[in-house]
Amino acid sequence: MANIPEINLAPDVLTTIGPVPITNAFLATLATSLILLIIAFIVRRKAGIIPTRPQMAFELVYEFIYEKMVMSFGDEERAQKFFPLIFTIFLFLLIANQFALIPFIQSIVTEDGISLLRTPTSDYSLPIALTILILVIANGLALMISPLRHIGNFIKFESFFKMKSIKDLPMACLDFFLGLMDIIGEVAKLASLSTRLFGNIFAGEVIITIITGLMFYSQFLVPIPFLVLSTLAGLVQAFVFAMLSIIFISSSLNGVRKEESPA
Amino acid sequence: MDAESAKLIAAGICMGLGAIGSGIGEGFVGGKALEAMARNPQVGDKIFTNMIVAIALAESTAIYSLVISLIILFVF
Repeated sequence: MANIPEINLAPDVLTTIGPVPITNAFLATLATSLILLIIAFIVRRKAGIIPTRPQMAFELVYEFIYEKMVMSFGDEERAQKFFPLIFTIFLFLLIANQFALIPFIQSIVTEDGISLLRTPTSDYSLPIALTILILVIANGLALMISPLRHIGNFIKFESFFKMKSIKDLPMACLDFFLGLMDIIGEVAKLASLSTRLFGNIFAGEVIITIITGLMFYSQFLVPIPFLVLSTLAGLVQAFVFAMLSIIFISSSLNGVRKEESPA
Repeated sequence: MDAESAKLIAAGICMGLGAIGSGIGEGFVGGKALEAMARNPQVGDKIFTNMIVAIALAESTAIYSLVISLIILFVF
């Protein structure tokens, strides 16, 4: 048949520093951070009141994300507090999803024949780690601000106290049950956010690997639509991840906000 | 039937059934977006951008089945 190279879900371990295995996706994550830092220094050095062209590009993206944050959070002060986190995740994912576009990157191999760099988000650990970070921030901050109100959003006893007659009992039980279902919803958020990002990027890589391995002649023009699709999917998934993390954090914090604060 | 062929059949069925719902859902999103763009061509760009985001969200369940079928194929 065709010689399709080995596709494995887990990244290959290159070395081990103490108890921590260093995989090739980890090296690619470091490389992506390095690229981000270099771009940041280059753009920052020439920045001024009259914007240069890279500065204008960044300000476009800044405004884009900032408007959506102000819409979700309600006031600018909270949006400013969370902006560095969300924007860093967005920029990191923008660059990390496009590792397949860099030519010859897969050809740098160690002596065992495994490639040295691999798309960071195609390792299941990275999306899970980012999702755990977002969810811990959302729930942890809400618990720190007001633990009773946050837990009260999930286990709703006050619907039982507000009953005026026995006819309200089914509605109160339904409210209580829906509150418990929200806990399962939180776990579903973990699974869905990470799997969406991982699935899109990993599937793109698998398709390109299979198509280039099918025949000799299918290496030349045939992968082009799939590469375009994979690139677009990478951009859209980075944006969707940032938007959903904004929505998770803001909805969690709005649930514990003091109700009597003036606008 | 041995485990190898059961794996292959399982991976195929998993992805095939998952793609049905996603296709129908995204067709709905696209149809409604086109209708809105025809009704109000001025905000066509905004609608298009939001349609892309909605398509990415509607694709999610198909991606879950894809990940499960890839795990079945390559890990077990």
